[in-house]
Amino acid sequence: MDIILGYVTTILVFFFTYNIFTLGLNIQFGYTGILNFTVITFMAIGGYVAGVLAMPKAAAGSGIYYILGLNLPWPIAALGGVLAAGLLGYLIGQIALKRLRSDYLAIVTLATGTLLYGLIGNGTSIFDGWQGLFNVPQPFAGFRTWTPLGYSIFFTIMTGVLFVLLWLFANRIYKSPLGRVMRAVRDDQDVVEAFGKNTFKVRMTAMVIGSMYVGIGGVLTIAYITALSPAGWTTGETFVVWAALLVGGRGNNFGAIVGSFLVAVVFNEATRYLPQIPAHPNLIPDIRYVLIGLAVILSVYFRPQGMFPEKKNTFLEVPLGDSSKAIEEHLAGGLSKVGEQ
Amino acid sequence: MTMISKDPSPVVKVALEVDSLKKSFGGVAAVDGASFSVEKGTITGLIGPNGAGKSTMVNLISGALSPDSGHIRLDGQEIGGLEPHEIGARGLIRTFQISREYPDMTVMENLIVSASNQGEKLFNVCFRPSVGKKRDRELVERALHTLVTFGLYPLRNEYARNLSGGQKRLLELSRAVMADPKVLLLDEPMAGVNPALIEKLGEHIVELNKDLGTTFVLVEHNLEIVEKICSKVIVVALGTTLAVGTMAELRKNKAVVEAYLGGDVRERVGS
Repeated sequence: MDIILGYVTTILVFFFTYNIFTLGLNIQFGYTGILNFTVITFMAIGGYVAGVLAMPKAAAGSGIYYILGLNLPWPIAALGGVLAAGLLGYLIGQIALKRLRSDYLAIVTLATGTLLYGLIGNGTSIFDGWQGLFNVPQPFAGFRTWTPLGYSIFFTIMTGVLFVLLWLFANRIYKSPLGRVMRAVRDDQDVVEAFGKNTFKVRMTAMVIGSMYVGIGGVLTIAYITALSPAGWTTGETFVVWAALLVGGRGNNFGAIVGSFLVAVVFNEATRYLPQIPAHPNLIPDIRYVLIGLAVILSVYFRPQGMFPEKKNTFLEVPLGDSSKAIEEHLAGGLSKVGEQ
Repeated sequence: MTMISKDPSPVVKVALEVDSLKKSFGGVAAVDGASFSVEKGTITGLIGPNGAGKSTMVNLISGALSPDSGHIRLDGQEIGGLEPHEIGARGLIRTFQISREYPDMTVMENLIVSASNQGEKLFNVCFRPSVGKKRDRELVERALHTLVTFGLYPLRNEYARNLSGGQKRLLELSRAVMADPKVLLLDEPMAGVNPALIEKLGEHIVELNKDLGTTFVLVEHNLEIVEKICSKVIVVALGTTLAVGTMAELRKNKAVVEAYLGGDVRERVGS
């Protein structure tokens, strides 16, 4: 029973964190049309910065090197990680969003991610290079004496609550005037610009918020598995999040969640527990990527809007003062004929 | 034309003024010293043969391109070289040659998102969502009125991508109205539109000009509708202003006729 519960909580934590990644990408791509091809870099930065803020100073002679080591309480360290992810989003946005759009923007994000990957992997003194961080303190671990399962359940609930809050906020953005302008930018940036709106600012807002979402996911990831190394944030991981959003339905937060359940949980996590084939240890992970790729191709080909397409937004039209009356009169006057013959 | 803006008490108010505007692409001078002015509250036509530099002028005025030299003034204030959104925010709204609706938004959303000051600040989203909601109600009401006027009311909850070509033209115009423009720069609004709808679009423009006092600049190839609704027509050729006047006057102008039929315009302009 405990094993099953432990397994379920692990899967749930992965599910919630992937949801948060996918929501972040949805704000960037689904709402605003920003092709961020380095989603996972923001996860890494969030996780790493939160890690080194929460960890004690690297012990001399231990062979582990990392910056800071401020031993801060977890909530402050977590906030630091999220802000770092937001700041990285802002910096990449300054380079990429000012002049570039669509594919060129995608290339810049991809290149930036690859650069940081190489920099952090080879720069041993920043986050311990390819070794990565380990023994990262867990949030509220000293709060009381936890049983391992009790802690897992606590962590799952904490992640779940955070996810729900972030989901509500993402929906709030979507329905707000800001979200509407974001979607207009996605549909035709030049027109929004011509109507007197600073589209750079709108895109930057989406970029930073989305990056912070992914950063929160990263903070939770490192806190749960207590370790992070560059091996865990290759470009392939970015496309798992992309696959989740495209299969589920871009622009629709519910679709994003279904997609991340299917892709991130069913494909990505559940297949980790399949028995290994001794002669080909990489076969199952490789097949997993092949299947995710296939799911994206099938989805884009047969249902490009995703399983749960963006919903149509309607407005409450009554009571609206005298306008409904005026409309009735117009319609009675035979003006129901539309535009073109 | 520069004399008007220097005059301390101008008789006619100038909404838009273009002064010795120049823009080259490599060795090609697309706009080569064009100067004209558009009076407030008028419908002014901007015509010229293909390659005259009309589209470049539209892009320069709306900020999509930066001029090499020269001035563009909106209500006497220099707007040359500003960002497109800065020009849009000052009340000069342009439309595009090809209809560019927001395809994945409804007709209603297309209108509402085009209004200025929707309360689209992140601060409002976080802490004061009621600001946006309240403004939305006003905008919904205005949008409904506008849609009724343009005959798009039954399509209000339809995705804009599903509209026909003509309906998209009407949508472009009604969307522009939502932004309360001082000057509305229409780039070939009649392109690819059937004669009956051209007539109707023309009526809408005249009506908006009369009711709201919006100044219109109409870049158009359809000379019939230009003659019908424009009080003044500016002819451009080879990147410069060739002539200004009513259509009847321009018909008698040899340089204009030759510009359309061929011949060396530079000789006539004397540049």
